Amino acid sequence: MDNSAVRTENLTKVYKDFWRRKTVPALINLNLNIERGEIFGLLGPNGSGKTTTVKLLLGLLHPTNGKSWLLGCPSDDLKVKGRIGFLPEESYLYKFLNAEEILDFYGKLFRIPRKERKIRIDALIHNVGLNIHRKRPLSQYSKGMLRRIGLAQAIINNPELIILDEPTSGLDPIGNHEIKDLIIEFKNQGKTVVLCSHLLADVQSICNRIAIINKGVLQITGNVRDLLSQKDVIEFLVKNLSHHDTHAVEAFIRSRNGNIVSVNHPVSTLEELFVNIVQGRR
Amino acid sequence: MVILTIAHHTLREAIRKRVFYVLIGLCILITFISLVIPTTDEPNARIKIILVVFFQVVVLLCIIGVILISALSLPSEIEDKTIYSILSKPISKLSIIIGKIIGFALLSALILAILGALNIIILQQAVVRLPEGCKDILKARNEFTVSKFDIQGKLHHIREGTVWIEGGRTGIAVWNFSHVCEKPDSKSYFEAELSPKIESTGKFADSIPLVVRLEGVGSDHYRTEVISIKADEPFLLKLDTGIIQKSSNINISLFPLNTTDHIGVTADDVKVFFVKKGFLLNYIKAGIITFLKFLLIVIITVMGSTYLSAPVSIVSSLIVFLCGHILDFIKDFSFLIQYQGVHEHALPTVMRKPGVFFVYLDSCMKKILEWFSVVLPDFNRYDSLEFLLKGINIPLKTIVISFGYTALYAVICLFISFFVFKRREFL
Repeated sequence: MDNSAVRTENLTKVYKDFWRRKTVPALINLNLNIERGEIFGLLGPNGSGKTTTVKLLLGLLHPTNGKSWLLGCPSDDLKVKGRIGFLPEESYLYKFLNAEEILDFYGKLFRIPRKERKIRIDALIHNVGLNIHRKRPLSQYSKGMLRRIGLAQAIINNPELIILDEPTSGLDPIGNHEIKDLIIEFKNQGKTVVLCSHLLADVQSICNRIAIINKGVLQITGNVRDLLSQKDVIEFLVKNLSHHDTHAVEAFIRSRNGNIVSVNHPVSTLEELFVNIVQGRR
Repeated sequence: MVILTIAHHTLREAIRKRVFYVLIGLCILITFISLVIPTTDEPNARIKIILVVFFQVVVLLCIIGVILISALSLPSEIEDKTIYSILSKPISKLSIIIGKIIGFALLSALILAILGALNIIILQQAVVRLPEGCKDILKARNEFTVSKFDIQGKLHHIREGTVWIEGGRTGIAVWNFSHVCEKPDSKSYFEAELSPKIESTGKFADSIPLVVRLEGVGSDHYRTEVISIKADEPFLLKLDTGIIQKSSNINISLFPLNTTDHIGVTADDVKVFFVKKGFLLNYIKAGIITFLKFLLIVIITVMGSTYLSAPVSIVSSLIVFLCGHILDFIKDFSFLIQYQGVHEHALPTVMRKPGVFFVYLDSCMKKILEWFSVVLPDFNRYDSLEFLLKGINIPLKTIVISFGYTALYAVICLFISFFVFKRREFL
C-alpha cells in the first residue's frame, strides 16, 4: 500500500501561449513524497511554482509531463477529491451567500447527509469564531473573516489531506496564532497538511518537513530540524543561574578551548507578546 | 444529487442579482403598456395586442436577459476564481455544466411562470370587458384536414395556383372532410372558416354574396345559406351538429351568387374546426414551447461560456439567436449566389464581371451560408403565437417535435461543452 499522502514523479508544467507554443516552464521534473500524518511546508518566492504544484495536484491544470498521486490514488481521480480539503491562496468565495449557506453548499458537493451537514456547519462556524456573523453575506466580511470561512469550507468534509495555500494571509496575529494551533490540531488528529507559504517563521514553527522550490525546480527537501541545525554550535537554556556561576561556566568553556559566540537573556517573539497582551494573559 | 446542488446554487445566484429584478420589472411595465396601446375597432384587437406584446416583446426581452445572466455566470466564476472551490471538490466538469443549464432553465421557467400568470390575469380582465358574443375569442380549435378539393362544373381560370370560378352556378368549389369525428357537448361545437379571394367583374370588391352548402355525405341532412363575405377577413360559419352527428363525412360547397362576381380558391381556403373552451391549456402548451426556446438558447450560451469570455459569449449567443430566426433568409440568400455577381444590385459594377477570385469568393460564401443554415438551430419552430391568435389548439405532436429538436441540440452542445471544459485550464 502506498503510504504517501502526496507523491509526484517528474511533474512538469510548461505554459503555452495563444498559439499553443510552449513558453514559460513553471515547474520542472518535481519529485516529491509527502508522508501521511506530517505537516509539510512547500516554500519558495513568488512565482517559484508552489501554486502551480497545488493546481496540478487538484486538476486545475494539466501536467505537460509526469504524474502525481494523492492518498495513493491518481490525482485526477474524482473520488480522492472527497478526502481532500483545499484552501486557495485568496478566499475565492461566493460573496452573495452567508457563512451558513456557503458551508451548506460545499457540504452538499461532498454529499454529506443533511443532519451531519448541519452539525458540522454549526461546529465549524463556532470554531472559526464567526458565530455572530453567520447570517451576514460574505460581501460584508473582512479579509480575515473570509480567510476563516475559507478554512472552514476546506475542512467541512473532515479531510485526510489538507492543502493550505497561504492560510494566514490577511489574518491578524491572533488569527494567525489560532490557525497555527488548528494546523497542529490537524496533525494530532492524524491528518496530513501541505502548507504553501513564504512566511518562513510560520513554517519553521509548525512544519515537520519542508521543500524549497525556486524557478520551478526543487532545490532542497528534508526535515526542518536537520536542515536548520548548526552541528558545531551548542545552545544551553538555563534558568536561575547566578552571575557568579555564569562567569564560572564561561571560564570553564574557555579553558576547554570553546569559543563563546554570545551570552544573552532569550527574548520571546513579537507575536507571542502581542497575543499575550491582546488575550490578557499579562 | 450534486447536479441539483449546482442548479440550485446557479438559480440562487441569478435571483440575488439586480438584473433579475430589473428584468421582471421592465417586463411587467411592458405588459401594462400593452393595455393602453391604441388598437383597431375590432372587438378582440386588445386581446391580440396583449398576446403579441407578451410573446414577441416580453419573451424577447426575457431571452436577452437570460442570455446575459447565463453568459456571465461561468466566465465570471473563472475570472474571480470561485470555480477553484468547486473544481477541488468531487464533482465532474460535466455535472457542473449540466447543473448550470438546469439552474438557468429553472430561472427561465420562473420568469415565464411569473410573467405568464400576470399575462393570463390581464387577458381574463380584458375578456370580461368584451361585448357579449365576442367572449368566445379565447378558444382552442382542433383543425380537420381537408380530404379532397374539387371544382364541379366550369372553372374560369387558374392564376398562381388559385382556381377562379364565376358566379351563377357555372362552377362550384367543393371541399370534402371525411374524418370529422369529435363528439360535441354543450360547450363545444363545429365551425368552418371560409377565406376565399373575391373579385367583382375583374375588380377588387369589399364584399360579395356567396352561397354555402353544407351536407353530410350519405345522409339527407344539408343546409344552404347565402352569406356576405368580406375581402381579407375569414368568415366563420357555425356548423349544425345534426349534420355531423349523422355523418362524419361532410362536404362544403361554395359559389358566388351573382354572375358578375368571382371567387379564387385553393384547398386551404376552407377549414373545419372543432371548437372548445381550452384556452388556458393551449396557453400552457404555448408556454411549454416558449420554455423549450429558452432552454435551447441557455444550452447554447452555456456551451459558449465554457470557452469564451463573458462579452464574446453574450455577443455570439445573440448572433446565434438572431440568425436562428432568419434561417430561411440565409438559405434563400445562399441560393442567390451563382458564382458571380453575389447580389447584382448590391455590389459594385466591377464585381459583376466574373473573375477567378470572385468566383472563388462567391463559392466560399455560398458554402458558409449553407453550412450556417444547416448547423444553426431554427428558432422559428418555437413560435406558438400564431396558434393562440388563430385560436388553434396546439397539437401534442408540435410539442413533442419541439422537445425532440431541443434534445438533439442539447446532446450535441453538451458533448462540445464537456470536451472544451475538460481540456480547459484554470490559471
